[in-house]
Amino acid sequence: MTGDSLASGVVEALAGRGLKDVEVFLKSGRSRRFEIGPQGRIASSSQEEGWAVRAGSDRSSLFVSGTGRPATVGPWPDPDGQPLRLPPAVAVPLWNPPADLEAPLSGEIEAIRLLEAIETSVTSELSGARLLRGLLDEGSSQTSILSSRGIDASYRGRAASLFVEMAGPWPGAETVGVAMARREMRSFHAPTIARRLVDRLLLQREGQSPDRDRGEFLLGPALGVRLLVALLPLVLGGGSEAIVRALRDRRGRIGSELLTIKDDGRYRGGILEAPVDGEGRPTRETVIVGEGRFNQPLVSWNEAQGTAVGASGCVRRPSWRDLPRVAPSHLYLAPSPDVKVASLLTAVTRGYYLIDTQGSGRFDLERDSFRLPVCGFALRQGHAAVPLAGAWLTGSISAWLRGIQGVARDIEFEPWSGMIGSPTTLVTGLELRRNPD
Amino acid sequence: MPLSGLDATAVARCLSQIADHGDDLAEAYFERLEEVEYPAADEEPGIRVRREEGFAIRLVRDGRSWLAARDQITTGAFGEAMRQVARALPAAPYPEPTLDPAPFPTLEDTSRLARFPTAVTRAIRRQLAAFPMRLRVKRHRRWLRVIGTQLAPEPQSESFYSCDVDLPWGRFGALTPDLSGGTVERLATSLTTLFRAQDAPRVEPAERSVVLAPPAAAVLLHEVVAHALETDTLMMGGRVESALGLQLGGPLLNVLDDPTNAPESVRRSSDDEGMIAVRRWLLRDGVVEQPLADLFAAHHSRALMPGAARRGNRHRSPAPRSTHLELLPGDSSLHELLAAADRGLYFPEVSSGRLDPLSGRFSIFLPYGRRIEGGALGELVGPCRLRGTVSGLLGGINGVGQDVESAGAGWCAKNGLKLPVWATTPAIGIGSAEVRG
Repeated sequence: MTGDSLASGVVEALAGRGLKDVEVFLKSGRSRRFEIGPQGRIASSSQEEGWAVRAGSDRSSLFVSGTGRPATVGPWPDPDGQPLRLPPAVAVPLWNPPADLEAPLSGEIEAIRLLEAIETSVTSELSGARLLRGLLDEGSSQTSILSSRGIDASYRGRAASLFVEMAGPWPGAETVGVAMARREMRSFHAPTIARRLVDRLLLQREGQSPDRDRGEFLLGPALGVRLLVALLPLVLGGGSEAIVRALRDRRGRIGSELLTIKDDGRYRGGILEAPVDGEGRPTRETVIVGEGRFNQPLVSWNEAQGTAVGASGCVRRPSWRDLPRVAPSHLYLAPSPDVKVASLLTAVTRGYYLIDTQGSGRFDLERDSFRLPVCGFALRQGHAAVPLAGAWLTGSISAWLRGIQGVARDIEFEPWSGMIGSPTTLVTGLELRRNPD
Repeated sequence: MPLSGLDATAVARCLSQIADHGDDLAEAYFERLEEVEYPAADEEPGIRVRREEGFAIRLVRDGRSWLAARDQITTGAFGEAMRQVARALPAAPYPEPTLDPAPFPTLEDTSRLARFPTAVTRAIRRQLAAFPMRLRVKRHRRWLRVIGTQLAPEPQSESFYSCDVDLPWGRFGALTPDLSGGTVERLATSLTTLFRAQDAPRVEPAERSVVLAPPAAAVLLHEVVAHALETDTLMMGGRVESALGLQLGGPLLNVLDDPTNAPESVRRSSDDEGMIAVRRWLLRDGVVEQPLADLFAAHHSRALMPGAARRGNRHRSPAPRSTHLELLPGDSSLHELLAAADRGLYFPEVSSGRLDPLSGRFSIFLPYGRRIEGGALGELVGPCRLRGTVSGLLGGINGVGQDVESAGAGWCAKNGLKLPVWATTPAIGIGSAEVRG
């Protein structure tokens, strides 16, 4: 039985039980995982195959998932709870699959060499530094969605992720980690990753924090990403109206004219790039904030019904085990293609270049405040003067959004709940403190 | 038994072909999982069922591991995974074993699960409270079997429930082996107290005497004893053996990990590597006696005893973790513990905890507490954090209660592995600890 005929059989079987809306989700894939750490060297390979069925009537619904292929005989429990409405099919705009889908997954030797190269590069600059854990994952998958409402979509994907955790050789050293994702493992560049780890380790050892200071802040992509993650309640609908009301100024803006935030399920070269979302609806670019003005949150087809906003094609479903839910795919602060980081840097007469976070921080959208542990450098006349660590970037979220004075072109994405991206930004109106309380 | 029908002798014979070096370890791990969930009343779809099965084959040689996992249990998939893991293929291989597991049992009656949210709501009303909440309840069942070249322990199974509650002022989660009336009352009491504590005043940051009720003591000991004494954590800091005999806490501290004494539905006689589970003394009179070790660690040190390996799922290699933590009772009544901590704080529950494995610094998040005034419990206080170092905190324990409770069960997440953990502890008193509001 093919996937399609099998899925059709399931749809028919459940329709016979009075469930007129039925959706069958099939996903299969293979992945490789390589690890260096306290458990030695581990090379794993997995072949995964699973399915999920959502079905419902006007009165109740069910969700059943499992490994392998679904069977028409179930197990189908008696439906319960709320009714279920599935999306109708709509035309999917043309989509050209990325060329790398056919590329083979990396092998064990290649992966271990990459992890070793990172460790060697770090220790050559920082003798005695230790790799505590290095982890590389790479996989490819195929997804099919078929429903009684005419959805019939298939797409493929691939992704690779890297996590490296290291520690300095001095007493009391805390761990420093880097987490990244790309479409292919071969895209990870060992010297760049090592540079980031060395910077973090050295800053941890040598950096100091002023008691309190203000000035201009050049925020590296990692900080922009962390601040965007804190804005997810604004992006994801639900309570976004109340948040926007609180952040909006007299001119109706929530941020500087340089602030444009988008989500795009078709972001070219993105890890989650796909023609349709987890319900088989077409993905698209959604402008959430355009030149400082709030436009719309991410909304599913169901939430968009009867409203003026368009569905975003943003329902994500990372695994067959997961229920579909609204989430970003590639959420990013739009870069300025003509602005180099160096030009922003040289524009700072007195301030700080904050290159990374040192913890998760605390964000309170209701009280409009945040505190984020950071590290970087004090800047004097556009040059790094003193290493900075153990400091907290504090202020109001609205001050950050309105204080964006410059946006560079160096966008970087990090894996969070979806891929979140930011370029370097120049911001005023915030404060550094040694003690966050 | 869902994992009958596996020809253990033939599996062991096949594994012996790939474990052809003297110290090789080869094993096959078969698992089946079932989850049945009733979501909150306003969520669709209604009842949710997930069933999965699969296996992994692992070969460990000279500090390196190879693992191949599949999402099905079939003879063909087994042979394919064997070939993937083997370092050299035998000239005349044994025939592949017959793997014909019995079908999943029919879905058991779930009406008790469906009635649970209503029972909790009624219990809250009996406590003269009412507030909006969204409660999800899930039954988890797991069956597993490990077959090695020289061992084939009894198949194991686990069954328990988890509850997740969304409240207007936060989230609450709990694990429980059953859905008895006692479980309903305990959950209702926790939620009602959280409701009443929502506007409670915050405590000023200070060093204070603290008394932790059994559920809070269990989470604290999980973070600062169990995680600190996992061999993969100890390896990050250097040689594991150097921890043996270390005075980590005062003589009142007798802490064990004993999966054989866990609540009946999650009790284990062997671990996820098939090694016999034992009553393991982590701390005897405050001195480190036997860290939590798996086969990998025990293979590298004769001083270590395997039997504490756990797997998040078949696609991941095992790692040493606690299953059921016990703190042996002391001789203090709760009244005596409170009297010794006058003007301090009493914490009934912990919401989460975190340990930095390298520095030994930890944070515990407490959703609410009570002031201790004149040896009795006083007014409620709002959320707090308890921070410190492992040695500082354990050295500060100045009283252990005489009444033990099965309490403090929860999800443990470390290195991407999410595992249920259980505990049986009395209350503890801490002379001085850093508490921040």
